[in-house]
Amino acid sequence: MPAANIIELRQLLAERFPGLRTRADELSATKHAFWPTGLPQLDDPLRGGLTKGALAEVVAEQHGSGSALLMTALVHRALGENKFVAVIDGQDSLDVTQLGGDLSRLFWVRCRSTDESLKAADLLLRDGNLPLVLLDLVSNPAAQLRKIPATTWYRFQRLIEQTSAVCVVLSPRPMVAPAQVRITLRSRFSLNALERERQELLRELKAEIAETRRFGENHELESKSA
Amino acid sequence: MFAVIFIPNFSLQATLRHEPELRARAVALVDSKLTKPAIVELTAAARSCGVCEGLTASQAMARCAELIIKSRSLAQEASATEVLLQTAYAFSPNIESTAPGVCTMELKGMAFGSDFAAAESWAEKIIEVLAQFHIEAKIGLAVTPELALLAARAANPILTTQRNNDSSTGAIESFPISALEPPPEILEILRRWGIQTVGALLALGKDSITERLGPAAAELFNRVSPDSPRPLQLVVPAEEFSEQMEFENEIETVEPLLFVLRRFVEQLSRRLELIYLVVAEFHLQLGLSSGTKYERLFKIPAPTGKIEILFRMLQTHLETVRTDAPIISLRLAARPTKPETRQFGLFESTLRDPNQFAETLARLTALCGPDRVGTPQIEATHRPDAFKVAQTFQSAGSGDFPVARRNTGPEDPVNPQTGKSALPLRRFRPPLPSHVEFREEKPTLLRSHIFVGPIVETRGPFFSSGNWWDSGHWAREEWDVETSDGSLFRIFRSSDGCFVEGVYD
Repeated sequence: MPAANIIELRQLLAERFPGLRTRADELSATKHAFWPTGLPQLDDPLRGGLTKGALAEVVAEQHGSGSALLMTALVHRALGENKFVAVIDGQDSLDVTQLGGDLSRLFWVRCRSTDESLKAADLLLRDGNLPLVLLDLVSNPAAQLRKIPATTWYRFQRLIEQTSAVCVVLSPRPMVAPAQVRITLRSRFSLNALERERQELLRELKAEIAETRRFGENHELESKSA
Repeated sequence: MFAVIFIPNFSLQATLRHEPELRARAVALVDSKLTKPAIVELTAAARSCGVCEGLTASQAMARCAELIIKSRSLAQEASATEVLLQTAYAFSPNIESTAPGVCTMELKGMAFGSDFAAAESWAEKIIEVLAQFHIEAKIGLAVTPELALLAARAANPILTTQRNNDSSTGAIESFPISALEPPPEILEILRRWGIQTVGALLALGKDSITERLGPAAAELFNRVSPDSPRPLQLVVPAEEFSEQMEFENEIETVEPLLFVLRRFVEQLSRRLELIYLVVAEFHLQLGLSSGTKYERLFKIPAPTGKIEILFRMLQTHLETVRTDAPIISLRLAARPTKPETRQFGLFESTLRDPNQFAETLARLTALCGPDRVGTPQIEATHRPDAFKVAQTFQSAGSGDFPVARRNTGPEDPVNPQTGKSALPLRRFRPPLPSHVEFREEKPTLLRSHIFVGPIVETRGPFFSSGNWWDSGHWAREEWDVETSDGSLFRIFRSSDGCFVEGVYD
């Protein structure tokens, strides 16, 4: 078993030189490959953050449960770490004017339908250049979402597990069966929240986390935190 | 010493350069610019079928049913000349564009000096390079340009004139005088004298020839005399790298176009590789039968010479192109640049494969539209939702490709601490028309596609207006409202009515 620093070095090399044979594909799914979100209520139960090379699902069943807040936080976190981020905006609802700062590394795909969003996600996951892909389907009509074949998500999982990217799907109901982790948002904000600091709101973000698949473990884990 | 690269059947070779598989078949080239269009050049297979120069196309077809007739293309000859000169220039700085398909090179100062064996191996390399461009060449080496040309015409594929007692006439003694293309009257006189080879002509001596046949014969003598090499008219090949083709049949589908385009990309990439450059830009031009042109500039995000990457970029775009009329001509020009070598800093990062990403970007643009894919740029205005989407990745030049750097210092632009404090808004684009009931100038009831019911709490109004001096003016009153189901909306009232702008989430 190689030492941890060797594994990290291999992963780093694999990210910088994708054609290099570093056996990093075998390592991408190890417990070391996490991307911390910077939110303790997510990172602690997930033992480090979102797993690289895996799908994560964020379920926001109601308006105002904080899905846009979480997505914005993830975008800020990634941009702050010099990462390129793709936001596939399923219903063209992202308010970029509120993001602020240098957005030159944010890649925004403004889709008009669920079908278009899935095609865009497929292209970006196949591309493999971007370390964080956010697919926002929260505002998409339920009728369109129901028509997504379950095989689509398995295909996405097959695509992303060959990379060290993180793909987060934001949806209004649980639907991404192969997601390695499902985060259900339960927050409710009042009008007073509009006058508070974003960091404060993020600290109050309520999330239920269900780990459905963990690489290297056959049994299903169910860890919940409120 | 001089070397001459001679391309036999230059016009035909130029025409068949992008269809090399036809070279083994019976092909004849017709010059339609002649008063009576006739065959001017033909392949060996066509000649063996009984076809010869001067026949009309129909006469030739009568002799050989499988004959392929091609029209002479000056544009393709120009491209072939570019290839010839650029190849020669890669081997010697002193070159002359002597005639179509003929390039003379001065070998003064070359490492092999007067070592003819080394010179022949050097000439073999030139022939190999030209073969990559589907050009069959012959090379002659001699002490004068004229002798080298004579040697090149007789070469198979390389001929070096040998020094014999300090005279370079040894190997060319047997060359026929007619190969020098002298004036017909002089050729006739020499024939009657029994002077039929270059060696015999030189044996007469310059003075004797001039005394009897005049200055034209002296000029002929000088051309083959090893003692008076003419100076070359040196040229520097234009740094233009283009390939073009005029189709004999109109092209209506993308497959045949891609077939030719791939060969163009291969040729251009190899031409640039010869001078240690890579492709920075492609300029594609499609001539349409309606007389118009379709043009497109492709900037290569990370300049490269890899054929697959370059071709895929063109293919991805062309698969989405619809022209008004069939395509009759194709031109692809490349702008070269030096290969980019850059050492990134410890905290810098960039895309793993920028060219792959550019291709993905092109596919996404085709899927969603050009204004819907890219990097958001916030406009310097207070107008709500004022932004534009820039395709930074595509428009960036080789040196401008985005490189992420570690943000340092207190003015971190993406630090959430210094960002907007409000809960993010999920916008409806366009805003949803709605009916809002007001009581004492405060919204109390919302009827819209997304929610119908009472408003329990409000913040506002917030007035916003601007650009009153032009057609883009706006003026509105905004409220942040909480509805009875706990949702938070932003609504606004303008001269067009009331709208729900988005939901806070």
